Amino acid sequence: MRGKFLKVAVAATATAMLATACSGGGNDSDDAAGQAGGELRVYAAEPAFLLPSAGDDEPSIYVIRQLYRGLVKYNAETGAPENDLAESITSDDQKTWTIKIKSGYTFDNGEPVNADAFIRSWNYAAYGPNAQNNSYFMKRIAGIKDVSSEDPDGEGPKKAPEPKAKELSGLKKVDDQTFTVELSEPFSGFPTTVGYSGFFPMAQACVDAADKCNETPIGNGPYKIEGSWQHNVAINLVRSDTWKGEAGKPDKITYRIFADVDAGYAAFQAGELDVMYTLPPARYKEAKATYGDRLYEQPGDNFTYVGMPIYMPEFKDKRVRQALSLAIDRQSIIDAVFDGRFTPATGYIAPSFQGARENVCTYCKKDVEKAKQLLQEAGGWPAGKKLQLWANAGAGHDKWLQAVGDQIKAALGIDYELKVNLQFAEYLETADSKKFTGPFRLGWGPDYPYLETYLGPLYSTGADSNNSTFSNPEFDSLLQQGGSAKSIDEAIPFYQKAEDILVEELPVIPMWWGKVGAVYGENVDKFVWNAVSDADYGATSLKQN
Amino acid sequence: MGRYVIRRLLQFIPTVLGTMFLLHYMTSLAIQFSGNPVRALFGDRTPPPALLEAVTERLGYADPCLDQRGNPCFGLFFDRVADVFLRFDFGINLRQREVTELVADAIPFTLKLLVIAMVFEAVVGIAAGVWAGLRGGSFADNLVKISTVFVISVPIFVLGVVVREFVGVKFGNVLRDQAWIPEVISNGMFSPGFKPDYPFASLIIPGMVLGAVSLATTARLTRTSIMENIRADYVRTARAKGLANKRVIGVHTLRNSLIPVITFLGVDIGAAMAGAVVTETIFNVPGIGRLVTLSARTGESSVVIGVVTMLVLVVLVANLLVDILYAVLDPRIRYE
Repeated sequence: MRGKFLKVAVAATATAMLATACSGGGNDSDDAAGQAGGELRVYAAEPAFLLPSAGDDEPSIYVIRQLYRGLVKYNAETGAPENDLAESITSDDQKTWTIKIKSGYTFDNGEPVNADAFIRSWNYAAYGPNAQNNSYFMKRIAGIKDVSSEDPDGEGPKKAPEPKAKELSGLKKVDDQTFTVELSEPFSGFPTTVGYSGFFPMAQACVDAADKCNETPIGNGPYKIEGSWQHNVAINLVRSDTWKGEAGKPDKITYRIFADVDAGYAAFQAGELDVMYTLPPARYKEAKATYGDRLYEQPGDNFTYVGMPIYMPEFKDKRVRQALSLAIDRQSIIDAVFDGRFTPATGYIAPSFQGARENVCTYCKKDVEKAKQLLQEAGGWPAGKKLQLWANAGAGHDKWLQAVGDQIKAALGIDYELKVNLQFAEYLETADSKKFTGPFRLGWGPDYPYLETYLGPLYSTGADSNNSTFSNPEFDSLLQQGGSAKSIDEAIPFYQKAEDILVEELPVIPMWWGKVGAVYGENVDKFVWNAVSDADYGATSLKQN
Repeated sequence: MGRYVIRRLLQFIPTVLGTMFLLHYMTSLAIQFSGNPVRALFGDRTPPPALLEAVTERLGYADPCLDQRGNPCFGLFFDRVADVFLRFDFGINLRQREVTELVADAIPFTLKLLVIAMVFEAVVGIAAGVWAGLRGGSFADNLVKISTVFVISVPIFVLGVVVREFVGVKFGNVLRDQAWIPEVISNGMFSPGFKPDYPFASLIIPGMVLGAVSLATTARLTRTSIMENIRADYVRTARAKGLANKRVIGVHTLRNSLIPVITFLGVDIGAAMAGAVVTETIFNVPGIGRLVTLSARTGESSVVIGVVTMLVLVVLVANLLVDILYAVLDPRIRYE
């Protein structure tokens, strides 16, 4: 009843919006490149930080990417890295990288964007006592251990000791426009990682007064801030005159900040926003019906998996893990629980990534007969023991996990029990300390657009986020060979071989990939979605009247 | 009178300290039982222990008593009280912003919203109450009675969402189509939420939603009170003296009838603050209520403690003002 009522309301809204657009519209341009000008009003959530070294959440990065620019940018279609501020990034051994920077670029305050600007920024992020979230991303650079303080007693001391060094030993300036980066391990994918906003440069004035720079950023990108960050209300960006690269399309970008995605959607329906990069899950179907082509849909790169506690005896045998995976019909869960907002996973690497292969996982589709047979070969499931399925509370995971449990029960006769009462923080602590007593839900988003991001951090022996405690020497050695391969193209086969090991061993059961769902208004001429960095507001153009 | 006020002010101290302790205990228990909120900041990426520790330390969650379940953390509590009252330091949130700064940013919006809500419920509520009370049993009386029951029985979060979707989006879009309607009405007042371009106009409808529930109570209180007083001896005397009807109703009856209404409105400031938590979230008003919602969701103890302590102070002061107002309204009431 209510649903029907709402649909009528939305249809009326859409008609009203169409009418608004028509009465206000002028000559529509078919220019594919899109014209410059106008004010683009976009939906945003409150960013955590506007410092490149600290902002590691989606809302922060959306703003930082327009204010700052880094060494490389990503191709909108393919996601391949292209030099932006970098003249060249080269290495002979994949361990020491020489980076040459184009000259002539400056920050908004006139400071040059040179080797120092990058070294300064990366050092600031890495230095432990600064407590910058993106220090995580500096971990490949040599000397990272010395700039963060070690906990001597492992008990959380009242006062942490001073780190041994203030600066990363792996960063060395050659001349004004050149510097070298030494990594602790060879890594062929390094040039792809430096396009992440945590590697963007920072001005000296910014590092000297980081708190102030967080409120009124001193950027080097195509846009600069107008006034300062109006917390919880709005962030206004205008075109920057100091930017020498390809100019942004809109004259102004206004980020309206919403605490609640439903409130944002209401504002979009009322014509107050031009772009919404996300949608309230409950309104997805209706938005698809209402906005049609203006709902931008694409398979995303957010991975949801069910981890296997390999440290438990029941899960040691890979045939048990394969049987559990074969019992699950992913598409039916996606349709029933999520209105089709996900794409079933058939591998471990996001389909949009270079080197990803379709249907590489043979155990990722439902096959009850095979599942039963594999479980029997493995000696069956311990009689009377319940399968405990874990997820964090309050995030809506219990619904789909229950569907997974039901399917396993129907296929293999294993009774299950949901463990879904831990809050996120405690849930993650349980994961860190490997205390899950059954399969557990977790997710993963890429750190950089290189397939290694889905492999190394999750499954290599002893890796930080390897919560299933998977350990396979062959896998580790393939990753190492991939890391020291001469080029990305040469590295990819190694990583694919590593993925082949995963689809056989199933350290985690791949579930699905998130789908991107963004909507844009009638007055948007060309909406640009970057394969890596998501909605690109600077490249999105408005219809000009 | 002066002594009474001083005594009341002294009573504030145990109330505020008690509230702070309860909040402190509850937020500490939440951390002890559901884990370090700083870990949740990193999500699926397991942070290196040194980084996690540095951030935890910086944000003030490093006290070892937060690992011991059930420990009331008295040491941490006294530190907090000392920080708040001696150094006026309310701590920082998970994004390293000062709580005082957060409140200073948020409070103008909430004040505006509260003023709109209180004015709306006082003016419309009392007017409707008087209208109904003077004509007991008539159409007007029944209309007020039935409409107020209707408003009272709809929870504020339902009312808010319905108003946002139908008044802000649907009806607003119709208005925005009409060129002759001034923008401040179509784009400002009938916006589906707070809009920085129209900082006052776009708060009118959220304020009315916030005031709606108490408006019903105000109207009903006024109505009963008026009906009771209109039959009182002193009103009959006033009429017998030959005073004009306007004066009998406006001065004699209404003034006495307003005592329970004023009490209610005073207490209601506190309730409206609580309602603001819901209304501000629905209408995206960047005020105190939305701040509390967000910080409770992420478990930011310093923000919850700081903001709620300030809210308690507001309620206490409002109640004190109401008590003093009694003496103004009713000469028989004196404070010694």
